[in-house]
Amino acid sequence: MENLEALMHGFGIALSGNHIFLMVIGVLLGILVGVLPGLGAPNGVSLLLPLTFGMQPVSAIILLSSMYWGALFGGSVTSILFNIPGEPSSVATTFDGYPMARDGRPTTALATAFGSAAFGALAGVVLITLAASWVAQVALAFGPPEYFAVYFLAFASFIGMGGSPPIKTLVSLAIGFALAAVGIDTVSGSVRLTMGIDEMVKGVSFVVAVMGLFGIGELMIAVEEEFHVKAISSRVEWREVFRTLVGLPKHGWALLRSAAIGCWMGITPGGPTAASFMSYGIAKRLSPRRANFGKGEPEGIVAPEAADHAAGTSALLPMLSLGIPGSATAAVMMGGLMIWGLNPGPMLFVEQKDFVWGLIASMYLGNVVAVVLVLLTVPIFAALMRVPFFIIAPVIVIICTVGAYSVSNSYLDVMLMMGFGVLGYLFKKLHYPLAPLVLAIVIGDKAEDAFRQSMLMSKGSLGIFFAKPLVTTLILLGAALLLMPTIWRTIGRMMPRSEVKP
Amino acid sequence: MVSGRSLEATTALITGAFGAAVIVSSLDNGIGWSAAGVESGTFPLIVGLVILAGSLFNLVQGWLHARAVILGPSEFRRLATLFVPAAVFVGVIPLIGMYPAAALYVFGALAWHRRGSLLLAAVAAIGAALALYLMFELTFHISMPRGALGTFFGF
Repeated sequence: MENLEALMHGFGIALSGNHIFLMVIGVLLGILVGVLPGLGAPNGVSLLLPLTFGMQPVSAIILLSSMYWGALFGGSVTSILFNIPGEPSSVATTFDGYPMARDGRPTTALATAFGSAAFGALAGVVLITLAASWVAQVALAFGPPEYFAVYFLAFASFIGMGGSPPIKTLVSLAIGFALAAVGIDTVSGSVRLTMGIDEMVKGVSFVVAVMGLFGIGELMIAVEEEFHVKAISSRVEWREVFRTLVGLPKHGWALLRSAAIGCWMGITPGGPTAASFMSYGIAKRLSPRRANFGKGEPEGIVAPEAADHAAGTSALLPMLSLGIPGSATAAVMMGGLMIWGLNPGPMLFVEQKDFVWGLIASMYLGNVVAVVLVLLTVPIFAALMRVPFFIIAPVIVIICTVGAYSVSNSYLDVMLMMGFGVLGYLFKKLHYPLAPLVLAIVIGDKAEDAFRQSMLMSKGSLGIFFAKPLVTTLILLGAALLLMPTIWRTIGRMMPRSEVKP
Repeated sequence: MVSGRSLEATTALITGAFGAAVIVSSLDNGIGWSAAGVESGTFPLIVGLVILAGSLFNLVQGWLHARAVILGPSEFRRLATLFVPAAVFVGVIPLIGMYPAAALYVFGALAWHRRGSLLLAAVAAIGAALALYLMFELTFHISMPRGALGTFFGF
């Protein structure tokens, strides 16, 4: 009940003209970056970040999170109408969304996607409303060892459940940690890992990394694959929209299951991309209409979309209550929080009630705004896709360059961004995940501090991580997640190969 | 043509070299336990070792299990037409400044693909630079690099 009261208070904050306006702007910009290949939610949010410095933190986070919702929706539009995923997390939507649209039912495909997406997002927000303050309360009692254990758990779940090759995930994660350590050490004040370049003392900003990895890298992938835009009618028939939305409860079971998968993958940082693939795979395995998957089966749209949005939304839960972002975009937002002078973690729920509940309330409103706006603007953004790629590409390169430069007016950052671009391309091409790298840059220092403070407490003994039941449980859980890929492989080898691979 | 094997190997060598650099650099900061707690080089050292070991593993794995060819000549050409102009754009920023570089970049891209007249390309180029200026310099007071050229003219 206390939560509901706080939520109502939050609605009081979010429902101002100013904030609704920011939501509309954020969602529209979000759809734009979601639709454009090469620009995604992490980039969009990073680009907006410098513009929020003069704002109230609650207004700033409403703008940024609305952009996130917009980007999640925008990515689905191009997946369905053009078979081009605007976001990595909407790749699975192309499997059935595009065939359905191609067969002359684009409105049905879009409405199914948006309806399930909204349901997934709603599930995520409800979970945050009910559980976030409770998690924060538990976390208030955490000391450095518990924090380190939670960080360890988060990173272990990336390796165990992210779906990428585990050692590649580990390398990506460790590179992020190393980059986080560049510059002045927060504990001793000494300068680390500058590799002889004096300017590196300021450290490597996550914004620079995101611009390169997700911006330039993604652009190189897009140009290499040279997509052909085959126009499918992008007119939205409103009657069909309503008919589809009314018919959605038919897929109730799939919706619930996908939302649950999404929430789980969002909280334990598996991320929206892994969530949508996993949900699609499970739906395909369990559905009686298995054979229709890939040919325009509605459940093949429901499953990835609901999971994608549930994961995207619930990724904010650990960010708010523990200070651990559940996705790359959440990591960027958390970087923003720290720049605005807020300390992400359980104390937010005590000291910044307006901020937290204003944000949570805005998530309900923002998603409604996003569904309405995305339906209204489908034809406009679809037209944008007809702008030739050779015009869009330089514009995106220039935007990323300016974005990287404006972090600290440094040309070195621009050079670094190009380096990250090449690395991002190679990583994407070879299935190294990028999200762990960004996450580690943002929270690497905090994880290291937690470790070193624990060591100070125990005078250098690792035994402190096995001293209390809670810490021990978290560490063991993390270790179990780390070993998951190996265990699965062993089980897979021992099981007789009866099932035919899809 | 670039094979999957060489791409895997290149990436593993890049990450491995980074890991080695991190290890070497971390040694300057002191390793292990001192009166003030864990010394500041310890964590980077561990991370560097993880990167190096992981890269070696990926190098071997990539060599053994890579797909045959991932980059054909036409893909490579398309990549180059994106990356080379982008690198040139970034490279000339310190010389001629952000705005002229951006304008030239847009002009070059439009002229290269021969869509529309050169006049149109020039208009688009100036428009792009102007939009950048209005957006960042005027609205958000973020000053863009002027380059050696800008300094020469006293901007």
